[in-house]
Amino acid sequence: MRMSTRTSLHEFVVVSNELVAQETYRMVIDAPQLAARIVPGQFMNLSVPGDNSHVLRIPLSFKRADALAGTVELIYAVVGEGTRRLSQMRVGDGSSAVGPSGAGWWLPRSEGRALLVAGGVGLPPILAAAGMLADARVGFDVVVGARTQARLVYPDVDDVMRYGTPAAAGTGSAESYDPDRALVVTTDDGSAEGSPAAARSAADGMADLMGGRAYAQVYTCGPAAMMCGVARLARARGIACQASLERMMGCGFGACSCCNVALVRGGNALCCQDGPVFDAEEVVW
Amino acid sequence: MSTVSMSVDLGGIEMRNPLNTASGTYGNGWQFEGFYDVGATLGAMTCKGVAAEPWDGNPAPRLAELPGSAIMNSVGLQNPGVRAFVDGHGAYLQGVRDRGCQVICQVVGHSIGEYVRAMELFEELAPFASGFEVNISCPNIARGGAAMGATCDGAAEVMRAVRPLTSRPVVVKMAPHDVAEIGRALEAEGADALSLINTIPGMAIDVRTRRSRLARATAGVSGPAVHAIAVRMVWECAQAVSIPICGIGGVATGADAAEMLLAGATAVAVGTANLYDPACAPRIASELGQWAQDQGVSDINELIGAFEC
Repeated sequence: MRMSTRTSLHEFVVVSNELVAQETYRMVIDAPQLAARIVPGQFMNLSVPGDNSHVLRIPLSFKRADALAGTVELIYAVVGEGTRRLSQMRVGDGSSAVGPSGAGWWLPRSEGRALLVAGGVGLPPILAAAGMLADARVGFDVVVGARTQARLVYPDVDDVMRYGTPAAAGTGSAESYDPDRALVVTTDDGSAEGSPAAARSAADGMADLMGGRAYAQVYTCGPAAMMCGVARLARARGIACQASLERMMGCGFGACSCCNVALVRGGNALCCQDGPVFDAEEVVW
Repeated sequence: MSTVSMSVDLGGIEMRNPLNTASGTYGNGWQFEGFYDVGATLGAMTCKGVAAEPWDGNPAPRLAELPGSAIMNSVGLQNPGVRAFVDGHGAYLQGVRDRGCQVICQVVGHSIGEYVRAMELFEELAPFASGFEVNISCPNIARGGAAMGATCDGAAEVMRAVRPLTSRPVVVKMAPHDVAEIGRALEAEGADALSLINTIPGMAIDVRTRRSRLARATAGVSGPAVHAIAVRMVWECAQAVSIPICGIGGVATGADAAEMLLAGATAVAVGTANLYDPACAPRIASELGQWAQDQGVSDINELIGAFEC
């Protein structure tokens, strides 16, 4: 059984908050205790000052935590009032984060490559998983899907090819341990592939890679319909699959039971406490 | 530091200060240990509602946020049953009680028989419980809950059935309607205290899809937006009964808690604020103490029902 670390309250200051793709922002926050404790796949719950009419916090996954610098890097899309106000926070603004919350990714339980499949703003926790795999010297390939090319966070997508190499900061490796890493980018409208006729889903990209390589573990985060397809493909090949799920959340730390995830064995788990990362075989899709 | 005596008596539940937590917003306490020392801070805490046997609760989505400082939920009392609850949380809750915070266990059921069975199991298995809160007001289950507590007769019937099963204090969690009449009926059947209000039934319709924003058509509204309604109901109920009341509804500040006391509540439970401001309880307790001191009293009990109209 995975135990989540104790969730607590952290004051943070915005270090940067920039538009990096259509309706998509990168925010770096200074929050040393949170940065030291949060692990890939966990999340935090941010409050945005200035609007008392919306009381709930905003649950966000993260891309990278730098314990030395004391910072956490987030990538988020503006999808509603809360994230719109978040995008207006300026350098030096402060607020609070509740975290680290939930249980994150685990390393593959058998030998072999991993396949990472991200859709939309499912990208940050997938990049966090890539960092975890690089640290553990586990080989992996990556599929990144988006609605359009304009929504792809390019520097970060390309950068995943350098995880675990001397060019990537902080990995401490002398040379790449994973020279054959593949990166596949898909868009729903074909804009990244060059023509509408080339439009493909992330699941299509995944199927292509699985045709040529054997995998021990799939990691996925993205829209529910995409993850359902990814889980089905993994299951058909007998590959273990971890999925990071999203739910409307009240508290984000197990107090209100609002973010239920129906389980195959019956009953409900809580996304915020038992997840957000689940074994795809255990949840009702 | 306040020099005012803050201890209150909620129907035999001796609380070091008036602060309690609203069931369903507080997990079973341990979720808040990263924010403050639960046992050393609160007067009491109320656990999540538990039935004799496990309940799955309602399907997703169970939550919607509303503009105007409110949320609505239809969790439907997901719980593991009394035995698993005691196995999983009993040791922690005993520790909370040992540190001076009273532990109130909430009892739920779909029928009189289920309330009785749950109370029997609690009485047998939960020595750590300082008292019980019988929930006859959950708006999010098809049978039992609010249906049981909707009338004086229904509420009295539940109370009559569970009262003989324990000598520990029994609080009844009331629905937000007819609180004077139903409160009197519960008092007559031996309730030691009343807690009100539960969430207010509401609807949130997605006009694009014409469907509810939650899995069920109706759900319970809570948060700062309902505070004024809750204060009014506490005031009405307090004038109708002589047993103590725990005021619940949109309490997020010391001033909110003070309003509840002035309206006639002996204790105050923090609910929805626990979700978005999980460290709020110690702040509210401290603000309440400061307010009592500013009012020039030596004992917080002097301010209960001190509303002047």
